[in-house]
Amino acid sequence: MKEKLHPFHISVLVFMIQCGVVIFFLPRLLAQHMGYNGWVSLLFFSAIAAFNICLISIVYRLGNGRSIFQIFEQSLPRLLTFPIYTFLIGVWTILGCIAAKQYIIIFQVFVFPTTPPMYMKLLFDIIACSLIIKGIYNISKAATVFFWLVIWTILLLLFFIKGFEWVNLTPFFFHESSNTIAGGLSIFTAFLGYELTLLLFPYVDPKKGFIKAVYFGNLLTTLTYLGVSFICYGFYSFNQLTKMKFPLIDLLAYIRFPFIERVENIFIAMYLITSLMSMTMYIWAATETAQSLIPKANKRWIAVVLVCAAYAVSWFPDVLSEVELWLKYFGYMAVGIAFGLPLMLIAILVIHNGGRKIA
Amino acid sequence: MKVEDNTISEEANVLPSLQHTLDNFKDCMDLVHRTFPSIDVSLVYFGHLVGSDALYQDVVLPLTTAHENEVQTQLTRNQFKQTTDSKTLIKGILSGEAAIFHKDNAYLIDLFKPDARSIQQSEAEAVITGPHDSFIETASANLSLIRRRIKSSHLKAIKLEVGEVTKSTLYLLYIEGIANMEYVRELTNRINLIEIDAVHDGNMLIQYIDDFPNSVFPLFSTTERTDTAVSKLVAGRIIGVLDGSPSVFAAPSSFFEFMASPDDYYQRWTTGTAIRILRFIALIITLTFTAFYVSVTTYHYEMIPEALLLTITQSRSKVPFPPIYEALLMEVTIELLREAGARLPTKIGQTIGIVGGIVIGQAAVQAGFTSNILIIAVASSAIASFVIPSYVMSASIRLIRFGLIIMAGILGDFGIALGIAYLVVHLSGLTSLNSSYLTPVSPNNFNDWRDVFIRAPFWALRRRPTQSRSANVVRNRMKK
Amino acid sequence: MLRRLLIVTLLVVVTGCGDQRILERLGFIQTTSYDIAPSSEGESEQKLLISVTIPRPDSGSETGSGSGGVNREFLTTVSSTGKESRINLSRQTELQLVSGQLRNTLFGLSLAKQGIWQHIDTLVRDPSISPRVKITIVNGNAHDLLAKNYPFHPRTGQYITRMLDKESLSQVVPSTTLYQFTKDYFDDGIDPIAPIIKESGESIKIDGIALFQKDRYVMKVEPKQAIIFALLRTNIKQGDISLDLSGGNREHEHVTFSSLVSHRSVKMKPSKGSFHVDINIKMEGSVLEYFGALDLESEKDRSTIEKLASEQIQAKAKELIAAMQSNRVDSLGLGKNIRSTLQYAKWHNMDWRDTYQHMDVQCHVKVRIKDYGMFTK
Repeated sequence: MKEKLHPFHISVLVFMIQCGVVIFFLPRLLAQHMGYNGWVSLLFFSAIAAFNICLISIVYRLGNGRSIFQIFEQSLPRLLTFPIYTFLIGVWTILGCIAAKQYIIIFQVFVFPTTPPMYMKLLFDIIACSLIIKGIYNISKAATVFFWLVIWTILLLLFFIKGFEWVNLTPFFFHESSNTIAGGLSIFTAFLGYELTLLLFPYVDPKKGFIKAVYFGNLLTTLTYLGVSFICYGFYSFNQLTKMKFPLIDLLAYIRFPFIERVENIFIAMYLITSLMSMTMYIWAATETAQSLIPKANKRWIAVVLVCAAYAVSWFPDVLSEVELWLKYFGYMAVGIAFGLPLMLIAILVIHNGGRKIA
Repeated sequence: MKVEDNTISEEANVLPSLQHTLDNFKDCMDLVHRTFPSIDVSLVYFGHLVGSDALYQDVVLPLTTAHENEVQTQLTRNQFKQTTDSKTLIKGILSGEAAIFHKDNAYLIDLFKPDARSIQQSEAEAVITGPHDSFIETASANLSLIRRRIKSSHLKAIKLEVGEVTKSTLYLLYIEGIANMEYVRELTNRINLIEIDAVHDGNMLIQYIDDFPNSVFPLFSTTERTDTAVSKLVAGRIIGVLDGSPSVFAAPSSFFEFMASPDDYYQRWTTGTAIRILRFIALIITLTFTAFYVSVTTYHYEMIPEALLLTITQSRSKVPFPPIYEALLMEVTIELLREAGARLPTKIGQTIGIVGGIVIGQAAVQAGFTSNILIIAVASSAIASFVIPSYVMSASIRLIRFGLIIMAGILGDFGIALGIAYLVVHLSGLTSLNSSYLTPVSPNNFNDWRDVFIRAPFWALRRRPTQSRSANVVRNRMKK
Repeated sequence: MLRRLLIVTLLVVVTGCGDQRILERLGFIQTTSYDIAPSSEGESEQKLLISVTIPRPDSGSETGSGSGGVNREFLTTVSSTGKESRINLSRQTELQLVSGQLRNTLFGLSLAKQGIWQHIDTLVRDPSISPRVKITIVNGNAHDLLAKNYPFHPRTGQYITRMLDKESLSQVVPSTTLYQFTKDYFDDGIDPIAPIIKESGESIKIDGIALFQKDRYVMKVEPKQAIIFALLRTNIKQGDISLDLSGGNREHEHVTFSSLVSHRSVKMKPSKGSFHVDINIKMEGSVLEYFGALDLESEKDRSTIEKLASEQIQAKAKELIAAMQSNRVDSLGLGKNIRSTLQYAKWHNMDWRDTYQHMDVQCHVKVRIKDYGMFTK
């Protein structure tokens, strides 16, 4: 394990990056933008993500497992790689930290409404920074432990089988949806995260099913989203679902045990782990890119600088609506990168190989 | 490895002579110097290190009964080793050998028989059923205990020296063919790099060869029990026996090893599994129970079910402090009681337990200093922390508990989550002898989980743990 | 190392003090009541009379029960909205008022007739309020009911909650929570319901079920009919029903079924531009009380009893359904069942309330006696 990342850890890593704050309001997005029985559309989005992963696998095979920065630097002059790298660093860093900010602001809707969010973000960032500094192997180790800490909460869904009504699902499909395209893009950002596996190329063992692991992580995410959305659609009536801001949290608030109630307080605190992982991985990706940009710089210092820069930027959006706006635009950019980067790499590789495409 | 101290000077390759030796041991008035002028033999030894019977039988008697010219022949017998440099001679005398000087020749004979504690059950690591012998302070006795249990020539022992002044002997034991030689090399390397005057105990030694000396967590496991040491050897780990210490350390170790007790294997597997699961629950309780109490009473009142609400509020209404101070006060009190109980002789220690636990607790509640719910929380946390078999690990966990309580007091549930996240981040970076500390959770190996989280029946436990990176992975099949 | 310690100490000092909710300094609002305030001169806007009860464990006698409500605080105010009333109320007590432990909200009948959704909306919006808060209608003035202390009973708020919990187990009333009400309110195939309570001398009585059209109170189901209503609305797992089988040539014949288990299924087919709905109920129960001439041992007599019982229930059900149809409240959720058989366009274009009013609904009940206790004849 010292040298290469084991496939199970790659799946877990992908799952933890993909699963983030969006799961709190994913059912509402589906209800608003996809209409009745919108949970079915998750399969469609998952398939798009799988297609994207397929593109990444083509890059991996064509490039013989080389790091993407090597591929870039082999074919493109520094004049071109510089803006590309800067763009990547910028988008990924800001995306990571704004996602974390969104988590904190949502968290503050429920508890600690008057505590300055930047104070909480500071504590959050300190932990993220200490994790990034440790390198990808340790990040994946931490991700695995976090995964086991969080995954058992899926079992809580069983609690709602009693209140679940099949009639609530109605036989209608996709009616009463609004803003399908824009909404669909927002929903797709819930699946983002797998594109960071482009940067894992130098750290994986080529014989051990790296791409399969990424597919599996995507599958895990899809199943989780499906489970939650499906239960929400059956537990709440459709119009109610379109009006609830955070259906998952409401769902958790409904659980009552004899010795404790309102366990959503614990669980939304625990989901900070998923946000932490997303932010950590995005900034780690930015660090890797920055290292290709400035080869002489110390890796640790780059990480610290990026985290501080991200922290500074996250001062600007203050309220929930601003954060959501930022996230929307950066999300679009990230989707662009997710598709654009592998396509660009494939193009470079194809041209570089003189048109010889390895079947 | 030089120590600037002019009372100790070692010169190699000087021909050993009686005078030189006696000069070296000037002012060591416990050194015994006997001369037998009739046969021109001088005997130099430490009376408390050599066994007097053996001395008489093997040295004094044959030499004195022999004629003058036969002394030389006597001295060529194989128990007498001729020594040609004074460094070995001095070291030999210090190790309990007797030096014999005869006509410009020097010989050494090993008569080491120190007074030592007898072999009894270790107090810190007692089990209900199972062997009750444990290591004592003499390395040779410890080695004997181990060799009696592993009758194999594959059990190798490397002899090293630690401590500039004390020059304690350290034996590294491993089973060839099972243990990974890289670990052995790494460990030997690290021990050779230690530059310190003295190492008093195995627990102290491992802090010098640690990967992360600043971490809260112990990175090598130590044990005083023979059966534990032997099972670790067979699993492919490396054991270090330090002369002067009953604690034997094993490397590499994983976090989950500290949660296992030999008891698990001496009971049936269903019982063993249940107890292991209980231990993990105890770990969670001891870390989070008091922190949750603080967090719920300070920030998250809506988590209390209606039936408990008034009980808790009533018990808290008399307390003048906010919950976090109350909790820290009680936790510190419990730690004081525990530490005091550890220092006192047994008879008084028991009284303190009763007085402290019952009387002070009760009085505190009645005086309105704390609420009785908190006493329950703190007491259960304390009891749960003693369920963890390894004393060092439970001490570390207790320390972390304080950190979590403070985080809970600052930011409620979010603080606890942050605390746990930081803990996990810290643990993920730890390595024990360059292998991950969190094996088998990460790097992931589901096979190992059978012996970590549950205790699978023996027919299912057929592979050695992956952490030992053994070449020979399969323990022998249990024939049905 | 030292640097880290410094940072940590600094952070400890700058704690999240502002949002502390230390337990013993809080006043937990456990029950709220909403009424229309008696109007005063020059008031154009209708105001609300809002009261809350807060338990006070540190005052009064030790136990709450038997000494009725000594250790609770009752605060009341007149204001325009729920949240404004909170601000007013908090001026009346030394504790910090919090609503996280809210258990029950009472609405006066007159307010219920006007529509309660905007108050429910406030409650749903507040993240600290649990979705399991009960909604109860008071036949009369909610404020008066809540203000009174009932001897021999626990604190009024607790008394009401416990009674509702118990009764909902035996299906006399539904237990309506915020979640349930909101769900039904937004669903176009069903209308919300809520239990009604009433003050009666030295105690509180359950007075039936309130049926809402959207969020306005429209109709009441009497307590005696409540079990029929429950049979029609869901599958029940526990309940008692007492039927008077006399009539015709039968005199003084009564039977009581206990430990009811029932299963309801709805089938519909389109007919004449509208629908024909069949509600089939299969009911099983133990007969522990029977006054009459028939012999419980004989198979023939038992099936006679079963037939009579089902006829009775069918008759009552028909009455109930007709009443609901004329009031245009679909409290049984028939809309949901019908919706699951239709195309979206058809459902959307149909005026459900109209269709519902004129629909033909038939109820078929099949009763079975599971056992008849430990005594024969």
